[in-house]
Amino acid sequence: MKKKQLVAALLGMTVLSTMLAGCGGKEKPKETEEGGVKEFTAFFAVPGTEINDDNEVQQKIAEITGAKCKETWLTGQTAEEAVGTMIAGGEYPDFIDGGDGMVQLYEAGALVALDDYIDDYPNIKEFYTEEEWDKLRQDDGHIYWIQQFGNIYGEEKATTHNDEAFWIQTRVLEWAGYPEVTTMDEYFELIESYQEANPTMEDGTENIPYTILCEDWRYFCLENAPQFLDGYPNDGSVIVDPDELKVIDYNTTPTAVKYFKKLNEEYHKGIVDPESFTQTYDEYIAKLSTGRVLGMIDQWWNFAYTVNDSLKQQGLTDQGCNYVPLPITIEKGIKNQWHNSGGVLNVSSGLAVTTSCEDVEGALQFIDDLLSQEVHDLRFWGVEGEDYNVDEEGLYYKTEEMRTQGSDTAYKASHTCTYSYFPQYSGTSRDGINAMKAEFQPTEFYDGLSDKVKECLAAYGAETYVDMLGTSEAPGAWYPMYSFSNNLTTSTPGGMAWTKMGEIKHEYLPKVVMAKDFDAAWDEYMTAYEGCDPQAFLDEMQAELDRRMEEAAKFE
Amino acid sequence: MKEVYQSKTKIKKSWPDKIFVVLNTLFMISFVVITLYPVLNTLAISLNDGTDALRGGIYLIPRKLTFKNYITVLQKDNLITGAWVTVLRTVLGTAVALITNAILAYIVSRKRFLFKRSLSLFWVVTMYVNGGMIPVFLLYKNLGLTNSFWVYIIPGMISAFNMLVIRTYMSGIPDSLEESAQLDGAGYTTIFIKIISPLCKPVYATVALFVAVGQWNSWFDAMLYNRMSPEYTTLQYELMKLLSSVTNQSSSAEAMKNAMGSVTPTSVRAAATILTMLPIICLYPFLQRYFITGLTIGGVKE
Amino acid sequence: MTSKAKRRRKENVAAPTPKITWKEIKRQKVLLFWSAAIVVYGVIFYYLPLVGWLMAFEDYKPKDGLFHSAFVGMKNFQHLFSDATFIKVLRNTLAMGVINLAVTFIMAIVFAILLNEVQSRKGKKTVQTISYLPHFLSWIIVTGILHDALSGTGIVNEILVNLHLIEKPINFFAHPKYFWPIVAFANVWKETGWNAIIYLAAITAIDPSLYEAASIDGAGRWAKIRSVTLPGIKPTIMILLLMNVGNVLNAGFEIQYLLGNGLVQSVSQTIDIYVLKWGISQGNYAIGTAAGIFKSFVSIILIIIANQIAKRNGEERLF
Repeated sequence: MKKKQLVAALLGMTVLSTMLAGCGGKEKPKETEEGGVKEFTAFFAVPGTEINDDNEVQQKIAEITGAKCKETWLTGQTAEEAVGTMIAGGEYPDFIDGGDGMVQLYEAGALVALDDYIDDYPNIKEFYTEEEWDKLRQDDGHIYWIQQFGNIYGEEKATTHNDEAFWIQTRVLEWAGYPEVTTMDEYFELIESYQEANPTMEDGTENIPYTILCEDWRYFCLENAPQFLDGYPNDGSVIVDPDELKVIDYNTTPTAVKYFKKLNEEYHKGIVDPESFTQTYDEYIAKLSTGRVLGMIDQWWNFAYTVNDSLKQQGLTDQGCNYVPLPITIEKGIKNQWHNSGGVLNVSSGLAVTTSCEDVEGALQFIDDLLSQEVHDLRFWGVEGEDYNVDEEGLYYKTEEMRTQGSDTAYKASHTCTYSYFPQYSGTSRDGINAMKAEFQPTEFYDGLSDKVKECLAAYGAETYVDMLGTSEAPGAWYPMYSFSNNLTTSTPGGMAWTKMGEIKHEYLPKVVMAKDFDAAWDEYMTAYEGCDPQAFLDEMQAELDRRMEEAAKFE
Repeated sequence: MKEVYQSKTKIKKSWPDKIFVVLNTLFMISFVVITLYPVLNTLAISLNDGTDALRGGIYLIPRKLTFKNYITVLQKDNLITGAWVTVLRTVLGTAVALITNAILAYIVSRKRFLFKRSLSLFWVVTMYVNGGMIPVFLLYKNLGLTNSFWVYIIPGMISAFNMLVIRTYMSGIPDSLEESAQLDGAGYTTIFIKIISPLCKPVYATVALFVAVGQWNSWFDAMLYNRMSPEYTTLQYELMKLLSSVTNQSSSAEAMKNAMGSVTPTSVRAAATILTMLPIICLYPFLQRYFITGLTIGGVKE
Repeated sequence: MTSKAKRRRKENVAAPTPKITWKEIKRQKVLLFWSAAIVVYGVIFYYLPLVGWLMAFEDYKPKDGLFHSAFVGMKNFQHLFSDATFIKVLRNTLAMGVINLAVTFIMAIVFAILLNEVQSRKGKKTVQTISYLPHFLSWIIVTGILHDALSGTGIVNEILVNLHLIEKPINFFAHPKYFWPIVAFANVWKETGWNAIIYLAAITAIDPSLYEAASIDGAGRWAKIRSVTLPGIKPTIMILLLMNVGNVLNAGFEIQYLLGNGLVQSVSQTIDIYVLKWGISQGNYAIGTAAGIFKSFVSIILIIIANQIAKRNGEERLF
């Protein structure tokens, strides 16, 4: 009896599971309309935060636009893997930004060509100039994606220097009487003398004069300074000579030698943190958060959001532990380009509509609506009266309460909806008064600064971080070259060389800095470096540079 | 029977035995200290304010006590759905896997079974080969397993490892039991259910634990196959999404801004870790009973 | 029954399979039915996806799919084996695989046996429950703690300096020579308790009368461990050893990735890291598949060799 029961049960289970599997697997209709609101889906191949399903601002936007979008983000995979499986399965969400896997999506024919549609949507059309739209064309002549970021509307509102710089704590500058520091030698001299006079913080913790983050891809904090020191902008992988229009390898310039030699000297003087090359990103952030680190090279976004919060909480802002950027070059008289004005069009990825989307017009209408001023304000300012107020002159401002509330995690999930990977502007609002995004509103920015930083900025006659560095004109039409090198793969000799060069630099640059005999170590590094065939990489970069300049010439 | 064994050894405690006991106790204590530390440290960090924890220096006691990290984790949308699906997949998946693995192990441990060697080899090979993510994805899609709950149960029904563990145990059971049952006219099925399985409680408990922990912790399948079906999300996948959104692995300014504010990856990760450990800690003593009762069961006389 | 049980166990393993006859098939029809069902399942879920191995011989492009990508023969394999980096990561993987296998394996057995010797039932239960907890900590947490403990101001350096074993703190993560031991230690730390579960279950299956008999013979603890416990769990040990031999090339990914840095990358990178760097993160799946095939190939050869050795020595074997 028992035997039969067991067999029956097992069989039943198998049949049941097969049936249920069959049912469960059925396709669900996309773009479902719920109470007249179109529902789109989106996948972004970058890590991000999901918002709640009943998010308030999302609801408000849905009321205005008649559509909403469920966003999902990358989790525990590389962008290429996520995109690779989607292509294999042939099913996509309505919107996609494939990140590093964008080209794969294009090659797989998963994306809808947008150029035929763009003219019908004024806000999308306005988003880029003809020349910029042209840069987004793929080799088949069509436009498939819209780069969402780096677009400035009207006058630029530059406040934070979001990019790379030599940073220094305000207490160091204050102690030295706010001197003018413009070269790398002066920078280290200042740190050395401060360290000699004040080896510890107020509470007795030892200072770390200078630290370098080198973990994985974040080793730009060590690696790419030579391009800036020579007064070039952040092309990321090469220097572009703007007159000759030739690419230059910044790894081998005399400036690179000087820079690493300086680091080597400072390392042996004990100025460079001996844990520089073994610390993880978490440890680096922890160090900065204690206020012990006097200076470093980094990009603002890589440290400031977390570190500033922590410094404030501990009252270290009043001890002058906040960082300001300095306009450092290799020697005096070179015009620095740490900060460039103008937007940056990174053509390597963007927001695309997929072939799985059954309502392309509706999808584009949604993007178009998101760019209207009303919805843009909802996305980046929030709800009037709840997230910001408006004064008599039409200027938006936040109360301290609103700011605190706005940084609360739970509030963000249930209230805020920026659709952060859809096209967006920075710069000035269409009303001509406000900034497109709250964080760029000069009054907002200034109110958020600590007294020590305000004092420091004032001493240099600056109002913003950007003023500390000065602004340079936007570089030429080629800029930025990293949008090309980012998409290089090991399938070309140049891409192969590029990956190998990265490996070698990871291993040898720390050795060079720590070496007892700098020159010998440098020679060894150069031998290994030449073994990667960097010329193959430079040739491909040069070809791309030429191509870009040719394209740009059509618009002159 | 255990009591008997213990009382006898107590009488005969010799000098080397005493030294052994002392050393062993010392070893166990240091082992516990060294093992417990990371767990307690994680607990302390999970109860500490995130930005404050960045300063480091937190060992066993939180410096700035807060439940914010737990609140952040627990406030996550879809967590209830995920928890429900996870419980279901753990219970169902463990039951199904235990039955199938036991049946397979029973078959290959029958010494008269004609293909016992080839069938074992067939499964041993599966431990070391896999077709890669994309072919597996295509297969599941064509079988209708994507966007479905059953992707959590069906593909993992048999694992060579668990099968081998059960088989090893079963092959230690005296054949005479089977032989005498056969003489009484019992078939293979009856022997499996009535004779072998009751003796296998300890190993069933072990395998159930392995499978249950695997089911409880897995999230990759939810992400890969049910990304677009939020109704089949799992607890761990929701936690992973939360973690990857707070983890500072974001490679650009935009992604960084998009990450969460005042909580930090380390502290949220700690809270999530503690939360996922809890059910397993509760489950374990229950299974542990079987490891200990095994002692008595082992003593079946012929 | 002590000696009898031992003999029986041996018999179980060594018993000859009967010849395939109709009578025998009929007799075993239940077993055959279920094993057929299970084989069908196995073919579908484990063997069918192996068509994916085609990828390794193709210039695989997701847009063309598995069956329409250009065939390139052994190019991907040639690429692997002509690359000096791959040879280096192969060495690292093997070295760490073997070291990890040896130490985690031995530690788990030692721990299980010693735990079994703990007299107090409560103590035993408590220690065991605590012992497997680190298994649930992710590598990122474990490596974080390890980084703390081994940093210049960490507890390890503090102890070493205070004991005057070293003069000034060692930066453990800056020297390639420390990397493999650190990885091995971390593995032991995290997995010993968990791995011991299986041995503890096996120990419970040992007939207590064997211990009684040994006690009567005047055996001390060591003697009992040697003559009763160890032989009792030997089948489990052998099976797990055989299985793990096939895993030496799966030395890991996360821990090396999280603990590694530029200075030690020449000893820290494993095959899995290589595949991610040169394959997947470049959209090149073929390289990953080729490395996967290579790993499977090596594993199966190792398993078969180990299994044959076990068979020759009359030990427990996998198939």
